[in-house]
Amino acid sequence: MKLLRRAVIAIGIAGFGAAVLRLRGVGGTPPADGGWRELSGPELS
Amino acid sequence: MRLTVVGAGAVGARLARSLLSDPAVTAVAVDEIDDRRRAEVLEALADERASVAAEDHEAHGADVVVLAQPAGDHVERAQAALAGGAHVVSLSDDVAEVRALLALHQAARVAQRTVLVGAGFSPGLTCLLAVHAARHLERVDEIHVARVGVAGPACDRQQQRALHALSIDWRDGLWLERPGGAGREQCWFPDPIGGVDCFRAARPEAMLLVPLFPDVQRVTARLGTNLRNPLLARLVGRRRVPADGPPGAVRVEVRGQGPDGYETIVLGCMDRASVAASAVAATAALSLGEGAGLRHGAGGVAELLEVLPVLQRLAEGGVRAARFEGSVP
Repeated sequence: MKLLRRAVIAIGIAGFGAAVLRLRGVGGTPPADGGWRELSGPELS
Repeated sequence: MRLTVVGAGAVGARLARSLLSDPAVTAVAVDEIDDRRRAEVLEALADERASVAAEDHEAHGADVVVLAQPAGDHVERAQAALAGGAHVVSLSDDVAEVRALLALHQAARVAQRTVLVGAGFSPGLTCLLAVHAARHLERVDEIHVARVGVAGPACDRQQQRALHALSIDWRDGLWLERPGGAGREQCWFPDPIGGVDCFRAARPEAMLLVPLFPDVQRVTARLGTNLRNPLLARLVGRRRVPADGPPGAVRVEVRGQGPDGYETIVLGCMDRASVAASAVAATAALSLGEGAGLRHGAGGVAELLEVLPVLQRLAEGGVRAARFEGSVP
């Protein structure tokens, strides 16, 4: 019974961790500087 | 030049109009199973060169057949078009279908025709941008593609399927399959789209890009969605998608060794997905019709067409690529 309880708790913690990782992911930092510039002229030749 | 457009949805209808704007086009036949939709599109086109496709049009007639219908029967239609002596342009972004279309390589070579696979917004424009970015590098190590936005309701359904299927990435010489809808990463797209959560999804970009870069170590492709987790999409039900789709964007990040050190080049494009996809497909179809295909066989748009002329033509039509300048986060 004790072993089963520990297994359930372990699975629960692992599931919670996986859910957090899945939702949180990586990235999210906006570019600190710069921006988008359309390609034109020599960049397309 | 005679062309057939299969499918008259958000992309197919625009595509037919784009083709008719070229004076070299003598006929565009529209093949659409929905009679009412087909009639609407032909009426809107209001051009005597546009007509209803004959039932057996694939057997004879067209120089180029463009497959713009939802994924499902692109392979069968491509085989029929090849048998009829036409080049093929497919906009399918379904992984299994893209793989099967690429397998038509030998058949296309025997027929001395070209099958352009994934000639849309993504894949399509994404592959062109990746090759264009790679021109600035001596060695390409990584390519990361992201896309946000749908071309219409059918495209939205396809994206939902992709988010719930296995993603296929390239890593250190091996194909890596991982569950779609996971691995959130916020990607920054051209303005005004900005930052969007992107997830792994069943996207065919890696299959089309790896043959172009034999030494590349990593190729990934992600789909952006405004829902925090795509699994929630199933819980909240289907979103209502406008017929033409909302504004979308693609982003291609290429990393590698440049002449002045290790570089990361980020190219992107913001437009309605239906507009950009139809522009890429129309340019590809016209290029093939003009005999500008680099060789016979099946392959991606960046593999079988000269990239720069296609990008120039797209820019002239209003689909303009952009480069991110600054610190890449």
